[in-house]
Amino acid sequence: MTSIDLHLGPLRAEGCNIVRSGLRWLCRSGQYCRPNQVVAYCNISLDPVRARLGGPPLFADELELQVAFAPRIGGHISINSSAARGGYLDVRGIDPWDPDTVIASIKPEPGPNDQVDVSQLRLLMLAGRRMTALADAPSGLLPGWHSRTRGWWCDPGEQPVTLLSLGICDATGLVVGEQCAFFEMFEAMPMAAQMVFVPDHPLAPAAPVLLDQLQRTPTQFDAIAADLKGFLSEAAVTSPDDWMFAGTLLSTMRRNPIRDSYNVYSPAGPARLGPADAVLLSLNAEPQTILQHRELGYRVHIMRHHQAAAGPAIREWLAEAFVPVRRSIDDIKRDYEALIDNMARATGARPIILNRMSTSGYEDISSYMPFDAPMSDVLSNVASKELNLMLNDIADQRELYVVDVDAIAADLGGGEHLPDGVHQSGPMQMVLRQEIIKILADLQPARASVRR
Amino acid sequence: MIYEFRLPLIVPQMVAATVECLYAKPGEALKTGAKLLDLSVDLSSAFAQECPPVSFFRVVMREAVFLRKLDVVPGQLCHLNEILAVFSTEADEDLDVLPARAVRVAIAGIMHHSGMWTGNDL
Repeated sequence: MTSIDLHLGPLRAEGCNIVRSGLRWLCRSGQYCRPNQVVAYCNISLDPVRARLGGPPLFADELELQVAFAPRIGGHISINSSAARGGYLDVRGIDPWDPDTVIASIKPEPGPNDQVDVSQLRLLMLAGRRMTALADAPSGLLPGWHSRTRGWWCDPGEQPVTLLSLGICDATGLVVGEQCAFFEMFEAMPMAAQMVFVPDHPLAPAAPVLLDQLQRTPTQFDAIAADLKGFLSEAAVTSPDDWMFAGTLLSTMRRNPIRDSYNVYSPAGPARLGPADAVLLSLNAEPQTILQHRELGYRVHIMRHHQAAAGPAIREWLAEAFVPVRRSIDDIKRDYEALIDNMARATGARPIILNRMSTSGYEDISSYMPFDAPMSDVLSNVASKELNLMLNDIADQRELYVVDVDAIAADLGGGEHLPDGVHQSGPMQMVLRQEIIKILADLQPARASVRR
Repeated sequence: MIYEFRLPLIVPQMVAATVECLYAKPGEALKTGAKLLDLSVDLSSAFAQECPPVSFFRVVMREAVFLRKLDVVPGQLCHLNEILAVFSTEADEDLDVLPARAVRVAIAGIMHHSGMWTGNDL
């Protein structure tokens, strides 16, 4: 079988020359690579062709821009060693993007091949918006500390469907994958798509928190910021951790990821994509108790392992300025319904919610007599069952996709694939990923895109 | 008859558990269904990740016994098979006798609550 040269292929951004670094390889020469398996990546700079009149450059807030490469067919790959330059030349933009550049060749597997042009690599564009411009880690895949990362892919004639992941760990792993660069989703998904990930620190994406974020006005945000600044300025002791936490919290609260629109560059040319078509949420993100600000009324949920990042003054502020509000299952249902309705009105985004594992092989309950009623307040599996039923009730009335983690975990074996009920194994993530891809395929004809 | 409660393997990947709260004191007669203690199991050592995979469990008596020794405190990390409590069927039985068997208990996954050693969600 003859080897096929693999070319970078076209990539165009509006009003910019695309400059790339040397390549970083993720496979060895001679290694077998699957179709759509990412084999290398490079950093990208967008250099304006001429000074832009009015407004910042298109990707000014996304300081990490990268492109990853995958062959469209499986086979043994032979690396062009000159594509990697070493040192800073694999970090900084040094070469203009040339679609004819050959970075490798591939000896394809025997068999039929229905791809139109297998010599052009499939491109995965990556972008990271730093939590602070100081989070400057120049090496690696989407390096640094980001308030949002995204990856998109499309060939000419295709328009990506956008999924925004706002869940906690159970949703995060499905979307960002093991290298936190969307590789698994890219490899598994045949159609054009964009994956957007917003992390759960410091605010966990519980429905009331997202609802407040969606409805918050600039004036309300100013009041929140003034309140926090006032408390910190009068606190007896503040530590650097307090200021870091406060800055991160305010940076997160002033943004509204559900309303975000997205600039993209691609082989088809530049485009502006509207707000996410679908928003992935996790039922596990809904706490039994949430903090509500005593005067301003907004809600926050900060998970225990992120609370550790707060200094003494922020801890005092959370204890004094907020009141813990207990949430029944009916309360959680009302919060979800309000969020779904507001999201539909604001952007038309469709919610996808991962339900909860509700059985455990580790329990040996022979009688429920020892447990106080309501048992959903005490027994986690009873709570999970009632919450899962609540989701189904919502889905009867509203447009909501429920991914049945409970059934899939039971089918695969929860002990092996979901040992703590939240963090899935790789094989389980693959199954769940396919569920999400099916939903996105359903949504694709309906998604909106605004071309520049 | 002397019985004991050793930390059992609740989750296959666990190597230890933390005592979260105690519901009984030595000398008390415990009925079937009485709560003994709550535990948390953190699988961080088995699955390295920032978000700790922590689960909470309650140990409930499945037989009537006297609690004679409870040598743990909230926050204490206990290892698999470590003896946490000793029981007897009579109130004043000699504890120097070897335990006849493990005490019968039920273990249930529970929600985090404010009485636990592990802090509340803020």
